Amino acid sequence: MSPVLREAVEHSDVVLTVGSGGVGKTTVAAALALRAAVEGQGSLVCTIDPARRLANSLGLEALGNAELPIAPALFDAAGLKPRATMRAMMLDMKRTWDDLITRYAPADKRDKILANRFYQSLSSALAGSQEYVAMEKLYELRTHRDYPLIVLDTPPTAHALDFLDAPNRLLDFMDNDAAKWLLTPALAAGKFGLKLFNLGGSYVAKTISRFTGTETLQQLADFMLNISGMNEGFKERARQTRALLEADSTSFVLVTGPMPERLDEAIYFHTLLKQNKMKVAAIVVNRVHAPVPVALWEEVARLPTQQQQKLELTLKESDLQARQDARGVAKLREACDGTPLVLVPRFEHDVHDLNGLYELSHWLWGDRLFEV
Amino acid sequence: MIPELHDKRLIVVTGKGGVGKTTLACALALQSAREGKRTLVCEVNARERISALLGRPEVGPEVTALDENLWAVDVRPHEAMREYALMLLKFESIYNAVFENRVVRYFLRFIPSLQELVLLGKILFHLKEKRPDGSWRFDRIIIDAPATGHAITFFSVPQVIIDTVPPGAMSSDASWMRDALVDPATTAVVLVSLPEEMPVNETLELHAALRDRVKMTTGLVVLNGFVEPRFGAEDAEGLSPELAEMVTTHRTREAMSRESLEKLRGLGVRVVTVPRLLLADFDRKAIERIAALLGGT
Repeated sequence: MSPVLREAVEHSDVVLTVGSGGVGKTTVAAALALRAAVEGQGSLVCTIDPARRLANSLGLEALGNAELPIAPALFDAAGLKPRATMRAMMLDMKRTWDDLITRYAPADKRDKILANRFYQSLSSALAGSQEYVAMEKLYELRTHRDYPLIVLDTPPTAHALDFLDAPNRLLDFMDNDAAKWLLTPALAAGKFGLKLFNLGGSYVAKTISRFTGTETLQQLADFMLNISGMNEGFKERARQTRALLEADSTSFVLVTGPMPERLDEAIYFHTLLKQNKMKVAAIVVNRVHAPVPVALWEEVARLPTQQQQKLELTLKESDLQARQDARGVAKLREACDGTPLVLVPRFEHDVHDLNGLYELSHWLWGDRLFEV
Repeated sequence: MIPELHDKRLIVVTGKGGVGKTTLACALALQSAREGKRTLVCEVNARERISALLGRPEVGPEVTALDENLWAVDVRPHEAMREYALMLLKFESIYNAVFENRVVRYFLRFIPSLQELVLLGKILFHLKEKRPDGSWRFDRIIIDAPATGHAITFFSVPQVIIDTVPPGAMSSDASWMRDALVDPATTAVVLVSLPEEMPVNETLELHAALRDRVKMTTGLVVLNGFVEPRFGAEDAEGLSPELAEMVTTHRTREAMSRESLEKLRGLGVRVVTVPRLLLADFDRKAIERIAALLGGT
């Protein structure tokens, strides 16, 4: 097989790794960024995973919203001499939201928005907003920095498609007919009359407020009123972010494991990416068990009984695993016809340092090939 | 049921993605039902898997019987919202007029965390339900909860609502939900892990985050995919390099399993190990075996 991932990375300035949780998505993202830097393509790997796995795999204590270069000592320890700089960052959701408001909100609205309780929960606690923040950050990094390569690790599949949709959803929030209908009386009433859809009288509002309390509605009205002036800025960014995702220089790498329960998700995800016209460079099938060579069975058959029993059991287990994985790979290949698969064998050690990431990159880059 | 869980009415199964949460939740549910406890197992807004694992047709968003004493439900936002609203409003016609209104539906999407609140609210509502004779409709509820980061967000929602939403039906519901989740006599968290460095580290972090930020108590840690000791150093002697490597590899996994177990035991919570199961098909038989391996009956 040709080195599909190497070519995709070399010809891309944005790579997004996507897939379900626990398949090594973050590790693959970090390995691609590392390898690119070693080969001379300066890179930034950006993760939004709340469990801080990337920090672990890079041997770092913690990452902030800052784009930190990987310490030369870590490269030295791994015996690597990168020809370009590799940086890593972990998205701080709250910070990114605040930066966004600070940049786009009119001066007189800024503090009101930042202090609004709706804004605060939207920016920190509201599920789904991390996808938006990731896209926002990606766009910012693409336009305000000049990294030859940005590798973005997306959140796991349960919510993963949200990121495709996130910029549009925020727009929808501020700019659809319902929003206009809700806001019109408030806008007309000016900033001292923020009585969103006449709280006192409306039957609808009364019913909703039985759930939320009237104050909540008022807060939401304030929030929407304050951000309504920001529509144009957001709209433009959403359009450009979408364009960025669809660009020729953007590649998606779908990461999965060979086990049955992960495959269905991967196939589903592949279909959705295709439907959305996203370019899937390859599907990385991580941690595939290699088949047992015949010679080993023969050797084991000649061993003394006690040793033979233990090794035979071990070979049987390996064989069963390898067969299961091979079936999975075949299923994936058939279901995702047209998208190349890159298989990575199961490593005996966790990948948690630059050495391990570089080792992994041999399989991703096509230096070594593995087929089942 | 394992002693640490046997008197708990709510069991929350969580952990890093891909460690076997659903399988474990399913095995615990089966075990609980076998003991004669009326058990409800809930999947939360996910691709439904439990019914298939037990060899049953899909259950969807309605509570459906799977087995003797065992019910399952796939809790989804739209249906949960409807149930929640109907419970408060009592009248379907009002619900239809108000909540099926396009503008209102749009609006509700942006009430912070309302979706998580109704999902959690529906699950916890079943905890309070009684039968005509006054006994619980479900003796025990098992939640196949979201993975690490989303689990923390999900179970923090009642507190977020209490902090952000002024007094009203929503915040008083949030209060009792929070109280049920943090009550160690009612609720126990089961953390699922794997004998590898990153999953173990994540388990330690998740335990601390649930304890400090959400105030939930871990009742049990399950170390999945545990590799039992098999080989000594001498077993690699006199073998071809390939075969010797298999022995070494296995010994590495044994060592990793042992180290993971020690690290997890440091939490001061009971740790149960479940060996890696190598089966041609991962189906009901596998679940039955895991349920048996969990022991405690």
